[in-house]
Amino acid sequence: MNDESFDREPSATASQSAGDLLHWQPPPAPEVASLDFAFATETRITGWNRALERPMTIEVASLAVDHPPPRAIRIPIRQAAIRVRSFQFPQPAEIVAAPAAPHDAETTHHAPRDAVRHAERDEYTRIRPPEDVIKLEDRLNYLLQPPLESLLSDRELAMPFQPFPFQFEGVAFLYPRHAAILADEMGLGKTMQAITAIRLLLRRGEVRSVLMVCPKPLVTNWQREFQLWAPELPTLTIEGDQARRAWQWRLADVPLRIANYEVVIRDREILDGQRTHLAPRDEEHLAERDEYVRPISFDLVVLDESQRIKNRGSTTSEVVRGLSRRRGWALTGTPVENSAEDLVGIFEFLAPGFLSAEMKPRKMGRTVSDYVLRRTKEQVLTELPPKMFRDADLELTPEQRETYRLAEEEGVVRLTEMGDAATIQHVFELVLRLKQICNFDTATGASAKLERLEADLEEIAGSGRKAIVFSQWVGTIRRLSKALRRFGPLEYHGQIPSSQRDGVICRFRDDPAARVILMSYGAGAVGLNLQFASYVFLFDRWWNPAVEDQAINRAHRIGATGPTTVTRFLSLDTIEERIDKVLEEKRELFETIFSGAKGPGKLGLTHDELFGLFSLPGRGGGTKRAA
Amino acid sequence: MEPPVEAAKDRTKPAIGFLTVIEHPQHGLFGGYLILNFAGRPIEFHCTAPVKPNRAQQILYGPTLDAFLYGEQIGATLLGHAKTNPLAICTDREPALALGDLTDLPVALVLPPEEVPVAGPTSVPPGGQIVLRLDAAHRHPPRLCTFELGRNRLALARGGEEHRQRFTQQLAAAAESFDLWEPFTRIREAIEEAQQAAR
Repeated sequence: MNDESFDREPSATASQSAGDLLHWQPPPAPEVASLDFAFATETRITGWNRALERPMTIEVASLAVDHPPPRAIRIPIRQAAIRVRSFQFPQPAEIVAAPAAPHDAETTHHAPRDAVRHAERDEYTRIRPPEDVIKLEDRLNYLLQPPLESLLSDRELAMPFQPFPFQFEGVAFLYPRHAAILADEMGLGKTMQAITAIRLLLRRGEVRSVLMVCPKPLVTNWQREFQLWAPELPTLTIEGDQARRAWQWRLADVPLRIANYEVVIRDREILDGQRTHLAPRDEEHLAERDEYVRPISFDLVVLDESQRIKNRGSTTSEVVRGLSRRRGWALTGTPVENSAEDLVGIFEFLAPGFLSAEMKPRKMGRTVSDYVLRRTKEQVLTELPPKMFRDADLELTPEQRETYRLAEEEGVVRLTEMGDAATIQHVFELVLRLKQICNFDTATGASAKLERLEADLEEIAGSGRKAIVFSQWVGTIRRLSKALRRFGPLEYHGQIPSSQRDGVICRFRDDPAARVILMSYGAGAVGLNLQFASYVFLFDRWWNPAVEDQAINRAHRIGATGPTTVTRFLSLDTIEERIDKVLEEKRELFETIFSGAKGPGKLGLTHDELFGLFSLPGRGGGTKRAA
Repeated sequence: MEPPVEAAKDRTKPAIGFLTVIEHPQHGLFGGYLILNFAGRPIEFHCTAPVKPNRAQQILYGPTLDAFLYGEQIGATLLGHAKTNPLAICTDREPALALGDLTDLPVALVLPPEEVPVAGPTSVPPGGQIVLRLDAAHRHPPRLCTFELGRNRLALARGGEEHRQRFTQQLAAAAESFDLWEPFTRIREAIEEAQQAAR
């Protein structure tokens, strides 16, 4: 180490160090001292060295290791027998297997191909067993069936158009059920769904004889639809004189019969197997022809527009309920028209005793939920053009108002004078008379509704569109027909012979000069496809909203290419306005049963309510339904 | 090697067998075996009561336990109950391919219709940094060889060339229109229905 470094202050900076070096002095000499390390040493005897020289003694001890030989432990791998449940499924002989020719007809029933996705792997429609199928084997037989899309992809079951997914769901609903109501809103293709389900059942041999019962005007419609959707199915329409019909009913190996309600009523004895219909010559050969005295039974009876049997006391209901059958389906867009009892009436055909009129609507809705399939257009047809309502609230013309006032006053006075002798028929007469005045003044023919209708039709015809006008009276239709001559009106009502009706519809569709068709609710509300008409007018109002809905849905249905505009005429401060309130209540009832929503406090139109339209006290009819 | 499963009593029919196993967290394994004709209609259905491996099986079979349970225990038992001899057996559970060692019938795995994604999964590590894979993750060497039949993708154990040929020859016509993945949905629903009925 350098000596200079010892004198430098540790905190000196570089500039200070340079100055210090110039005044450096050598350090003083160190002091020296001496120490003596000469210590005295001494040896002591411990005896350790002798001990180290002695030899070691080693002692050995033995310990016995005493343990048992190793043991092998057996761990059995038990393989308990696995319990297996086994099911065999019958392989029914399939019938009605004539191949269907590819159909290239273009109608407006089908879903637009580009709007319908073909069934992909995750979109299959499965057939599920109804709740009333109890036996596990039967339930599995349904669950294990192929998806509908697969069944219908069979070339021999070719369909003319690709159905909508909700239509597949409808077919899957009907197919396994012995009792079912398909209650889709009008225009969703109940016909096609029923035909396809029937087709599959026949094809599988699960049913061999089907009876389709429909209103008379719809027989040709069903014939057409069967030809379209199931061309391989031979159908037989029951018609002609009694002898011919008896022969038709008894024909063997007819998979499908179509009959109207009136024919079924007329032929009840044939169907029941009674002898009274037999001619004497038949009686002589009775021994050889004892099949003539056996009831005719069907595997499946389908009722179209089944609201026809809503009244349990009617002959129609009684006869239809008496049909011998294994399965029963009901098709209707309006299972509840007036009251919950309508549904009870239909169920008396499907499953007698299943419902009672005493059930509350919400409970009834829960009870029937597995038997009824109801979809609305809003739920399933997002592609369908909208339905637009336009309520035309009209003031009566002065002439109409005066006539109306006189008629009402006179009618009410008369009813009041009659006292307890006044019946529901008397009230109806007055209601109908007042409604007719709302359409046309009986004295002068003045009509606020007609004025409005003419104005609207001018615009509709001018834009190349077509319209349907509904009324409940043929007389009104006739008057309208004269007044609207420049629009090429066509008439379709009960006084038009059945044989001419199809021609009327075709002409309305094809003739560009025919801009308007005038229909009665009774004849035109059901089963017709008029989706080429864009406008619907309800010239007067029907008693229940369901029939009005049916009428509207003639135009607003699958195939409609544009929105449907519905104009509901209503004469202010008249009986029509009061009835309209009742219709709204009925609408609420329907919602209560089929959607579980909270319902109205009162149901339908009772005797008391009818009298109440004129502020008259009831006549003991109580809550009995009158309309 | 176990002896082959006893041959079905009926003659061989133009039918296809579908075997699946459902794992239930509480009850164990449920096996289901469905035999369909070429139109897709059910001919037979067999299902097992729940099967649970015991502790010894779990320890001793180790990684081969699933193949033992699916193939030997459940699959072979179900096949033994069937009266119809199908042309081939499809399964949607890979361990059930072990059944192929116990039967003369060709057994193939039906692959789900979904495409295998090219990009690997997106993962978010604890640090929060997102990692995106642009390539497929490294894989083990494939144990299965895949092939297409109609619109279906099937797989066989390595070395199953003979089975592949038999599948192709015997099911080619049916597989054109037959979605071989769909029947497994039916079996699962049927097993559930049977179990509900048993409760």
